[in-house]
Amino acid sequence: MKKKWRNRLKYLLLAPLLFILLVGCSDQKSTDSGKGVKEIEFFNQKPEISRQLKELANTYSEAHDDVKITVTTIGSGEGAAGLQAKFTSGNPPEIMMLGGTSEIDRYQDTLLEVSDLEVTNTIMEDLLEGALIDDSLLAIPMNVEGFGWMYNKEIFKEAGIDPESIETFDDFVEAVEKLDQQKEDLGIEEVFAFSGAEDYSSNQFSAHFTSPEFDHSILEAYEATELNWKYGDQMKAYMDLFNEYNIQPILGVNYSQSVEELFINSQVAMVHQGNWIVPTLNGIDSDFVEEKLGILPVFGENNETAKIVAGAPWYIGINSDIDDDVKEAAKDFVDWMYLSDEGQETLVHEMQMIPPQEGYDVEDITDSVSQIIYQEMLDENTSAMAHNQYPDGWFQLVLFPEFQRYLDGYSTWEEFEKNTSEGFQEMREQ
Amino acid sequence: MNTKKGNISYWLFLIPSLVAVITVILIPLLYGIYTSFTNSDGFNMDFIGLENYRQLFSDSQFIESMWFTLKFAVVAVIGVNVIGLGFAVLVTQKIGRVTTFFRTLLFTPNLIGGLILGFIWQFIFNRAFVGIAEITNIDFFNGWLSDPSTAYWGMVIVFLWQMSGYIMLIYIAFLSKIPTELIEAAQLDGASALQTFTHIKMPLLAPAFTVSLFLTLANAFKVYDLNLALTSGGPFRSSEMVAMNIYNTAFLQYKQGYAQAKGVVFLVVIVLISIAQVYFTRQREVDLS
Repeated sequence: MKKKWRNRLKYLLLAPLLFILLVGCSDQKSTDSGKGVKEIEFFNQKPEISRQLKELANTYSEAHDDVKITVTTIGSGEGAAGLQAKFTSGNPPEIMMLGGTSEIDRYQDTLLEVSDLEVTNTIMEDLLEGALIDDSLLAIPMNVEGFGWMYNKEIFKEAGIDPESIETFDDFVEAVEKLDQQKEDLGIEEVFAFSGAEDYSSNQFSAHFTSPEFDHSILEAYEATELNWKYGDQMKAYMDLFNEYNIQPILGVNYSQSVEELFINSQVAMVHQGNWIVPTLNGIDSDFVEEKLGILPVFGENNETAKIVAGAPWYIGINSDIDDDVKEAAKDFVDWMYLSDEGQETLVHEMQMIPPQEGYDVEDITDSVSQIIYQEMLDENTSAMAHNQYPDGWFQLVLFPEFQRYLDGYSTWEEFEKNTSEGFQEMREQ
Repeated sequence: MNTKKGNISYWLFLIPSLVAVITVILIPLLYGIYTSFTNSDGFNMDFIGLENYRQLFSDSQFIESMWFTLKFAVVAVIGVNVIGLGFAVLVTQKIGRVTTFFRTLLFTPNLIGGLILGFIWQFIFNRAFVGIAEITNIDFFNGWLSDPSTAYWGMVIVFLWQMSGYIMLIYIAFLSKIPTELIEAAQLDGASALQTFTHIKMPLLAPAFTVSLFLTLANAFKVYDLNLALTSGGPFRSSEMVAMNIYNTAFLQYKQGYAQAKGVVFLVVIVLISIAQVYFTRQREVDLS
């Protein structure tokens, strides 16, 4: 009996041993393989540019024998969790795409100060602010994105509306009513297809009205401990307007229905979207963007001043916790990406991004909407991407549900403001 | 004599699964329980004792999710078992080859993953239903997923659709194990089909109920993929199930310690309910031999 037990115990002890062995084996870092070759992993959170990014990485690796760049892509909302998993597994990437100030803040201890990069001097001043943590610059803005009301120029023209003449919010309301009256002649179902089923739609839309409260400064928005909806009345007016003239039920309208069906088929005149829909639209109907797509700014702070929201939603950071020569290679790659001809060509034409740098010829940028956004950015006539600076989870868990409740008539505007403000304060404190 | 040898091979064979269980279940479980006492954000953590659990009981959204999940589970468990048993009885009728065809057909939804199934049904609710509403002018078919009560029923319907075929298989297995003598004897005694079903088949199916109820209960509580693909918790978080609530806390708010505390409470609830269920259904089982 005793012997049996001892035997059992022996094997029981074997199990954890085997476990330790297994763990020990798997912990070897991939960088050890291949002598002298500096392996750099680029963590990408934008699936739509993954192919182009890989090509860019290959071009660079081919020109530099001692550097090998691989691209890992995890996106569509799971990127942040994916990056965190990379860090906790002890295998962090050398270069990483970061989704705004809060992610930069989270990884600040492992991010390299990048102000001495060549590319830094060429970046638009306003964009750098979002990567400043305690006055040190920890990441480079990846690109510029902007949004507002995307409208169908052809429908506006047929309805006899000159978009240039919309100078106040009342003009905008008038234009919407005019479109609504001619619905049948224009062949549209409704004026708007606001996607009330997507949480990011509500988030982006809110930026028009929260940016002025934070003085159009992303840093101020990031540090804000409360949100008082100083420009809430303006937001309410817009929401009431589009809710009245929107495809219903508004809470059921998702991105694909709104953009890929209704908007591109000219069944609605306007959607609230940004320049990121351009590649998608091009993929469905190559003439649409060129002939029909336009962007209208939003009267966020008062009835007379309309602005597009624009900024850098993504940043590129370099891991500071790696060997010096790998660090240098990573820096060189980022510089090369933004400063070399191949890099710029890929960025602007293949990825169809708006560059974060000054000095591009506006005509070089691929489509008219992106050109407008770039120009407004240069003119410093944009609202800030305040929506990227809200407390983690706030827009998904508080703003969006309350937004839906208001649209669906379950709650009043006062309740909307109260609940979202409380949630903001509460989640900021933690 | 062979006990010693038997022991060695016994443990040798057990080691791989033991290692797997320990590394992917036991250690994460213990670590998870520890994390629930910290304020971990997934990166840094400090011990804060029972604070997370205290916070939990005043978290109205979590309690609402718990209620929603409970309501969902009750209806889903009853529905899946009634439909599954119904299907099983139908396809075990001796009416030739077609039964195999129907068995396959009814089981197919289970082969489709929850995510895909969710998107398929999202299309059905958002498009097909709306199409019907437009043609017939019946408002009933409009906006199923954008209203809290119909979103709930939408979830239930899709879950039934997905699970019933699977549970049917279990009932088929048990139904076909019932000795034919018993049924023939009952028929000789003049029992009607209904009487044979309620008095002979049902009691003998008791072990099948234990298994099926356990499976559906556990599955209904832990639904995440379906929830994500179909409603994503909407409209306004009214259809957010506990699993999704936990995920969102952990990966949208980065409050992983708090999310773990929710996970622990959730685990305890599921374990208690499952044990109670197995205990009660076991009592009804009869031994034929």
